[in-house]
Amino acid sequence: MGIPSAPLVTKAFKDLALLNAAKRGMPHERICFTPHPVWGKTPEEVRAYVDGPDPVTGKPLMKEVVDALTVPLSDDDKKGGVVAVSTGPATYTDAADNLQELYLNNGYTDFLPIILPTEEKVDAMMKGTSRKPDETVGKMAAGAYPPWSYTVRQVAASAVMAGCRPEYFPIVLAIASSGVASLFSSTNSFAFAMVINGPIRDKLEFNYGIGALGPFAQPNATIGRAWTLMSKNLGNGGIPGDTYLGSLGNNLNYNNVVIAEHEDASPWVPFHVQRGFKKEDNVVSLFRGLGVVPGQVARGSSANENVQFDYQMSDLFSTFTGFFGALIIADPLVAARLKEQGYNTKEKLIDWLYRNTTQTVKDYKSRNYAYLFDYPRALRGDEPWASWYKMPDDAVIPHFPHASDINIVVAGGQTNAYPQAGNLSYGVSVSIDKWM
Amino acid sequence: MSPVLLATSKTEAQQQKAIPAKSSSSGPEKFTVVNPKGTPPPIQLIPMAPRLDTLNGKTVYLVDTGFHGSDVLLHQIEAWFGRNMPGVTVVFRRKAGPYMEDDPNLWKEIKAKGNAVIMAVGH
Repeated sequence: MGIPSAPLVTKAFKDLALLNAAKRGMPHERICFTPHPVWGKTPEEVRAYVDGPDPVTGKPLMKEVVDALTVPLSDDDKKGGVVAVSTGPATYTDAADNLQELYLNNGYTDFLPIILPTEEKVDAMMKGTSRKPDETVGKMAAGAYPPWSYTVRQVAASAVMAGCRPEYFPIVLAIASSGVASLFSSTNSFAFAMVINGPIRDKLEFNYGIGALGPFAQPNATIGRAWTLMSKNLGNGGIPGDTYLGSLGNNLNYNNVVIAEHEDASPWVPFHVQRGFKKEDNVVSLFRGLGVVPGQVARGSSANENVQFDYQMSDLFSTFTGFFGALIIADPLVAARLKEQGYNTKEKLIDWLYRNTTQTVKDYKSRNYAYLFDYPRALRGDEPWASWYKMPDDAVIPHFPHASDINIVVAGGQTNAYPQAGNLSYGVSVSIDKWM
Repeated sequence: MSPVLLATSKTEAQQQKAIPAKSSSSGPEKFTVVNPKGTPPPIQLIPMAPRLDTLNGKTVYLVDTGFHGSDVLLHQIEAWFGRNMPGVTVVFRRKAGPYMEDDPNLWKEIKAKGNAVIMAVGH
């Protein structure tokens, strides 16, 4: 803008703020710090922050703010130009144990042992695609930082490390090409999920039967893990305090929620067909949100012969943040029952869930995400939030802004009739075939 | 600032050193492995805007990004200016849209009417 500025940040985000300024080209930005947190404090408590010292420097906070705007610039402050950034040599040579240690210490791993990406194994992995080793696959950003780019060879290194077989590589490349990282900088500890559709599920022997979401098949386990390793390595995500701020973290980040849809046992069209692909296409679809909850916690027992899964699902949604959508993972027994109830399409069930999962405006406004994300949209006039914020507190509104925020896939071994539901938003579907 | 530091975290940069090989003719077999890191973009340095000689008689925009508590903090700063530097005109604005979205209209307004900005990110 060409106007002097003084950013104020709470102390908890000191490293993040300083690194962000440096990576964005202003390494000497005059950032001032307040104690942490600011939220939940009374005006009197915050006044004490303002009248007190900057907790990082110990100097009076407001003197620092005024100085930030008025003290003349140094020569370094005025510097322009371009700084090249290195991430180390293209290869390392050492004994296997030393290399495991090196990769661990350099933050290349998920802190579990890896398959070392030797040149031979990386070359073998790249035989799983017709793409050239130096072809650029995409760009991935760690939160708000500028995105990094990467080649087929760089993607292959993470795929090897995760334990993928070369025949899995087109799926890994498809995920990489999306630019979606499975580690996100938010303090909210996001979780990520992928849905695999098409004949490749059987060709690679994905598990979509008993224990579909568990550690019971190599492609489910390793492709999910590869996504997280790529997010750390290709996008530089997952560095606590820098590119990762999730307060509690999320155990699902180890290998993400990998769902191969049980297409043959589903009474409905597969997810990728809903998204405009042909049934014979191989597609990976990506989701992000906060996690997955089991259907057993919902009101309405599956032991009841009159069990109504639509009501169960709606009940599961009641604790979900509307900032993200919902992804129902229905066992085929659940899906069959729902079809018997008259839901002969996914769309019919989604429409019912959208209209019947509701909340009062008062409850809605009390939710953290509403203030942080929806209220600013309402102020700008964006719908439906602008209308919702004008309604009385006892008015009843949908839990999700749009019916399209709800998605359904079918997976599971039919040993019992349980659904699970993720507070997860659909992001993108990517052709796997393009990366073969 | 070291380019390595800019590329990665401080901790990682400090640790990003090759471990001396325990090599000898009878030592363990050595392997050459691929660095899995992607390629960061070069950093375009941005010269900082010239500073003001004084804030007296100037207009300072207080910009609330929308995080919880930012507004409370900025209103206390507004009051501080009233008590301590009454010659400064203070304008409070909440940035439009959620915190992660840009607000070019506000930047345009500040450029036209303001002399300095204090932006607060609560949490």
